[in-house]
Amino acid sequence: MKRTVEKITLTAREKFVRQVFSTLGRAILFSVTSVAALAVLAIIFFIARDALPFFKNEGMREFFFNKSWYPTREPAQFGAMAIFTGSLLVTFFAVITAVPPGVFAAFCMSDILAFRVRQVLKPVIEMLAAIPSVTYGFFALVVLAPLLQNHGGMALAVAWWVLATPIMLVASLVMAELICGLRYKERAGFAVRAALTLIFAALSAVLLLRVGSKLSGLEVASGVNALNASIILAAMALPTIVSVSEDALQACGRELREGSYALGATRAETLIKVILPASASGIFSAVLLGVMRALGETMVVLMASGNAAQVPSPIYNLLQPVRTLTATIASEMGEADQMTGSSHYHVLFAMGLCLLIFSFLCNLAGEWIVNRQRRKLRGA
Amino acid sequence: MRLSTRKLLDKSFTFCAVMAVVVLTAFLIFVLAPIFVRGCGAYVFRGTVEYRRMMLDQFGRGDEVALAREIALAQTARQPVYSAVTAFEAELKQMPAARRREMRPLFKVVREGLELLLGPEPGKPLPTLPRMLYGQTRWDGARRHLKHVLYEVQWDYSDDDDGVRVLAPRKPFFAGTALEPIFDLLENDLDRMLNPRLTFYGRFLTDKSVDAHFFGGIGPEVMGTIYLALTAMLIAVPLGVVAAIYFQEYAEGGAVMTFLRSCVNTLAGVPSIVFGLFGLAFFINTIKVSQGKSVLAGALTLALLVLPTVIRASEEAIAAVPRAYKEGALALGAGQWRTVLTIILPAALPGILTGVVISMGRAAGETAPIIFTAAVSVGKLSRPLKMLFRDTPALSWNLYNICTEHEAVDRIRHVQYGMALTLVVLVLALNLVAILIRARVSKRLKG
Amino acid sequence: MKKSILTAGLIIGSLTVNAEQKMVMDGSTTVGPIAKAFAEYYMRENPGVNISVSESGSGNGAKSLLNGNCDIANLSRDLKDSEQQAMKDKGVNPVKHVVAFDALPVIVHPSNRVKGLTIGQVRDIYSGKITNWKEVGGSDRKIVVVSRETNSGTFETFSELVMGKDARISSKTEYAGSNGAVRQRVQMTKGAIGYAGLGFVDRSVKALEINGVMPCVQCVLDKTYPLARELFMFTDGEPRKGSLAARFLALINTEKGCEIVEEIGYVPVNAAMRK
Repeated sequence: MKRTVEKITLTAREKFVRQVFSTLGRAILFSVTSVAALAVLAIIFFIARDALPFFKNEGMREFFFNKSWYPTREPAQFGAMAIFTGSLLVTFFAVITAVPPGVFAAFCMSDILAFRVRQVLKPVIEMLAAIPSVTYGFFALVVLAPLLQNHGGMALAVAWWVLATPIMLVASLVMAELICGLRYKERAGFAVRAALTLIFAALSAVLLLRVGSKLSGLEVASGVNALNASIILAAMALPTIVSVSEDALQACGRELREGSYALGATRAETLIKVILPASASGIFSAVLLGVMRALGETMVVLMASGNAAQVPSPIYNLLQPVRTLTATIASEMGEADQMTGSSHYHVLFAMGLCLLIFSFLCNLAGEWIVNRQRRKLRGA
Repeated sequence: MRLSTRKLLDKSFTFCAVMAVVVLTAFLIFVLAPIFVRGCGAYVFRGTVEYRRMMLDQFGRGDEVALAREIALAQTARQPVYSAVTAFEAELKQMPAARRREMRPLFKVVREGLELLLGPEPGKPLPTLPRMLYGQTRWDGARRHLKHVLYEVQWDYSDDDDGVRVLAPRKPFFAGTALEPIFDLLENDLDRMLNPRLTFYGRFLTDKSVDAHFFGGIGPEVMGTIYLALTAMLIAVPLGVVAAIYFQEYAEGGAVMTFLRSCVNTLAGVPSIVFGLFGLAFFINTIKVSQGKSVLAGALTLALLVLPTVIRASEEAIAAVPRAYKEGALALGAGQWRTVLTIILPAALPGILTGVVISMGRAAGETAPIIFTAAVSVGKLSRPLKMLFRDTPALSWNLYNICTEHEAVDRIRHVQYGMALTLVVLVLALNLVAILIRARVSKRLKG
Repeated sequence: MKKSILTAGLIIGSLTVNAEQKMVMDGSTTVGPIAKAFAEYYMRENPGVNISVSESGSGNGAKSLLNGNCDIANLSRDLKDSEQQAMKDKGVNPVKHVVAFDALPVIVHPSNRVKGLTIGQVRDIYSGKITNWKEVGGSDRKIVVVSRETNSGTFETFSELVMGKDARISSKTEYAGSNGAVRQRVQMTKGAIGYAGLGFVDRSVKALEINGVMPCVQCVLDKTYPLARELFMFTDGEPRKGSLAARFLALINTEKGCEIVEEIGYVPVNAAMRK
């Protein structure tokens, strides 16, 4: 009896050794974790270390507010405003094109498609998010650029027709219905409704044709331009946006949906008025992820944007080539003098620092919103 | 609002949502289809006798005797063309000077075209570069090239606008000369001269390239990518898993933990090119892990890039282990160490593996971080350990390289597509593996 | 004693050389095709030798040589004074080897009706003064100006020979990372103008007469074509006799080496002698 007791309980010495080992192990674990986590600080430090000399020597003003980018001329000019504009322009249009279809697709996957279909579709979409960017860039350069170049206007017009026709049709149906509802509270005759639908359909047909013919008349001077880059970036950001927003929509749970249905809401009403506000933070972080993906992407913009350091005129003219921060770093790092620490070398790090700060801000914004949402939910 | 309106709105909403999915799918097919279809062309194509000749010369593959017979057959089919060329050469000497001056450049173009189509003329000194040693190795290339021989591309500037492309047959230029019949011969008999045969070139994946990707495969690139991805994972996985264990099992919260966590989140958002800059500034210029670019420097950079993914996936997997397991182990008297090592980690292993495999796909596909840290356009492979300190070609970077920097971008389109396909398939296959692991796990957890 | 140590050292040295026959080349994309073809030819003739070639631009090549990261730097221009100074400060002694002669054909899409330009017109196009082809006798089409990336020797040669000190390249200019990319852009784009190394220009684009001279082997040699230049490989010090670099560079002057250069499309060094 006594011996077994001895076996289970530890002597003071054994206890001490165990404690030492446990503390030691913990310390090791903690230090490894810190290394992993603090890598980002090292990144910020080393980028900043090589970026700050630029700001010290050349000042900020020229960098942010001047459009002349002549890093290798004598004297060199480092006006990166056009490059910032290019980055933001391409990102903005990519996100604008990606978000509406992305969120709608997420609705479709979370609430409309059968569970089985969704189970297949979701991993497929996640797989698509993993396709390497250089492949997209290759597609942009080898397939999309010649297409835009040779049949640019026509391709745009066809895309417009294919996308806009169904939407216009649905819109005219809805408009007719809405007007009927306003005008005749009780019921409108079939004839009135049909006539209204036809009128709207005719109007939208005119719009379709007018815009289409305008597009088809467009002359695309060069196939690698902001439009090409935006389209491809949108395609790259889409899977991420869909997948993350779908997660957010799913996370709302059955209760909200069932409550809303029980009150007699249709599916659209439930999704838009109940689920969307409840999952707004998740969808917002999906959009932020899309922004970060588009802004930080290098290979696609390097291959598809044309790399001209100019502000397009007018600014929304996507058919002109632009140059982005990431592409500038990738293509000019090779030449910048690393040993003697030329301004050209440091200016590229300054661009890297700006990218870093921007992604940092995006992260902060995302975390802030998630926290706010959490607090709100807890409060309610 | 009236019920019918609401119903209609609901239906149109559904329609828009479904359309979004359809458009998304259609666009992705639009992107992937050309890569898949034309990428397969690098592996399966109609190879000509020139292809088999090249394979025997460069790689020592193929049946020598059968090939000799085939070449002889092709040679008999080509003979009339060559004799016509010789005859024309003689004729050229007899011509009056003015006409000779006019004909000579035309003849030169045809002759060069013939050499590119069928390989060097027999009896002439052999060129040095392998790309000039063989004719068209692929039937699709041969068909395309035949057009260049048969027709001359002219630009008609008579209109006030841009020039208009005109395909002018060359035959009339040589009407009445000895060269005239070769155009019909080439058009009708090309398949006998080149003897195209359906070829499966599976070793495209492992062969080295011959003469800057004119022939051969993408072996060094594939191996370089695998080295990079594996080394990156060897570095990232221990770090990531340990961090995940710490976050999930040991950390008690508090400011330090919140800070470390947001550090990891920030790391996930850093643009890939910034990782490249950091790799250059830190691994190569500051601590000098190698002289210039190396697999090690690239892998370290890639490891940092995938670290957040590994940490997150491992954390999720560890969190998904039922509490009962852990409590049972603790109740039985196991220490925290033992619980983690023998209970939690094995239970979380498939989940961790999923994350690892996905991250590996990411590491294999990234280009921007390795531009300054690892990638070169031509390199040779050696033993893994030596490789660590040496620069390497890699699929992602070399795809960029050969579709923008190569001197004959158009002639090696099939290699570019093949490389793109290989990269996509490699990454997708890794993801598929991850999905399968996950499916098995969820089945097991359910069952 | 001393002698035996020396021999031992030599033996060890040669042993390590035998074990590790490795050479790194870095630099210009213009010289890249020559370097790659030479490297492959050399590796085929001498198995066990490992030569890696990076094409990251002339500026980068010079820097790699300065840092000791490469054995041979490929440059499509001569070293700049600043680079020479930096090398001198670091104790690097750059030695120049001419590998080939090259011209910079100015190329346009073949549909372009313009046959030739003067240097002045090219300068005005690149500085943004001329923006439409009709101003130089072409059709009414916007000019898409394509240039090489600023780290390339091709760019520097072009700026020096065409732009001069005062004119600067307009910000509307699109930049492409390599000669191949420029050719590809021009070949795809009606209304484009670009410039690239002789070896990259084929029938898919149209080379323009500059000041009335077409780029060709002859006019590169006698310098009648205004945009001609030499291509270089630089080493740190004259490579030791019998070393890999020396044997490799010897290739330039051999019949085979010149054939390779010619087959790629540049003008080999022995062409001048042949003349």
